[in-house]
Amino acid sequence: MDYLGMFYQLLKGCGITIIVFCATYVMSIPLGMVVTLGVRSRVKPLRAVLNFYIYIMRGTPLMLQIFTIFYGLPCLPVIGPYLTLNSRMAAILIAFTLNYAAYFAEIFRGGFLAVDKGQYEAAKVLGLNRSQTMFRIIFPQMFRVALPSLANETITLVKDTSLVFVIGMGDLLEAAKNIANAEVTILPYFFCMIFYLVLTTVPALIFKKLEKKYSF
Amino acid sequence: MNMIQINDVHKSFDVEVLKGITLEVNQGDVVAVIGSSGSGKSTLLRCLIDLEKVDSGSVLIEGDPLVENGIYAKQTDIQKLILKMGMVFQHFNLFPHLTVRQNLELSPKLVKKQPQEEISANAQKYLKKVGMLEKADAYPASLSGGQKQRVAIARALMMNPDIMLFDEPTSALDPELTGEVLETIRQLAEENMTMVVVTHEMGFAREVANRVVFMDGGVILEEGTPQEVFGNPKCARTREFLTTILK
Repeated sequence: MDYLGMFYQLLKGCGITIIVFCATYVMSIPLGMVVTLGVRSRVKPLRAVLNFYIYIMRGTPLMLQIFTIFYGLPCLPVIGPYLTLNSRMAAILIAFTLNYAAYFAEIFRGGFLAVDKGQYEAAKVLGLNRSQTMFRIIFPQMFRVALPSLANETITLVKDTSLVFVIGMGDLLEAAKNIANAEVTILPYFFCMIFYLVLTTVPALIFKKLEKKYSF
Repeated sequence: MNMIQINDVHKSFDVEVLKGITLEVNQGDVVAVIGSSGSGKSTLLRCLIDLEKVDSGSVLIEGDPLVENGIYAKQTDIQKLILKMGMVFQHFNLFPHLTVRQNLELSPKLVKKQPQEEISANAQKYLKKVGMLEKADAYPASLSGGQKQRVAIARALMMNPDIMLFDEPTSALDPELTGEVLETIRQLAEENMTMVVVTHEMGFAREVANRVVFMDGGVILEEGTPQEVFGNPKCARTREFLTTILK
């Protein structure tokens, strides 16, 4: 296989990587925010449930979570058949989203904790209502603190997408592995690395820009 | 006219910090609340603008109840009363992600929904008044403590309050920066603004306030003109406090 063919194969694998990354990202960020707000709410049972969810998601390997959702859930008695996912992609996205939302929730929580209590008080005495206070005062400050950790987690997600192979999906790394095995060469791995670097450079640059914009 | 009426207000956190406070503030009054830390003076001030909830008693603002016999008014009414007052905090609490001008303009825009020209003109006016016009486009992080506090005062004035509340406005400042903030407050006093100032600045209390309230252990021990409280304190505890702090 020539370099062009190799490049083409890897590019095809790249598609899955990018889809999993983007879909997970757009679902887990809002979900993570909702979870944080729940964890910070006054409803005690809600807090307990969400903290337990975060505990599980952070405390067990993502790979195991993917297994559990794809292979494990259908084995459950009674409800199992209803939890059978026919699409591997669906299983992957559910597992990734649940896992990453937990991490994002914790990152946002840290950001919220960094906002001084006096900011809420100043907003209140100036007559701002709850949503004005949140959107105009608290979020921008929370976001600034959360940015470096968000950048970290985003880049980790790009690389974590390689876990899709565990339920037999072909991504960038799978493509490289297949070529390497077929052609008996280590070269595809090298190219694969460059692909990942390109993929992680994009969010890294975007976050650098954001950090600059949110420095005040 | 009676601006603030406080009747038998009690408030506990873990221990009772306000043990039956009764106080009246009339239009144009500059009331200095003095006392050692933990005497309840900041809590009292915060109860006036709903940053703390009282356990029992009444607080009336311009005759309208914020809380009456421990029962709070409707949220919409509370909101109206809050907007009659401006509050200045010890730690300024400027919004760090907004410029000085944006700090001033945010609430008139969002809450009062005034037209932009009016808001801009007001911002200009109040920044000039506190001497911060040339810093209008700076972020709070680049200001000194005294400058921050003057901006905070201008921000409170933007809402055109009838009453200004100051919670130890100079306690977080370097000594050489307190003067500029006190001068701004003095200016407001000359314009007949009704003010309640929790402070450790005895010189300021003596010169600017027309009434001094000494709090100790959650009660008002002594109240009177600066001449009475500073010149001829009735309680032994007041005398003790004044001699320690004026040393």
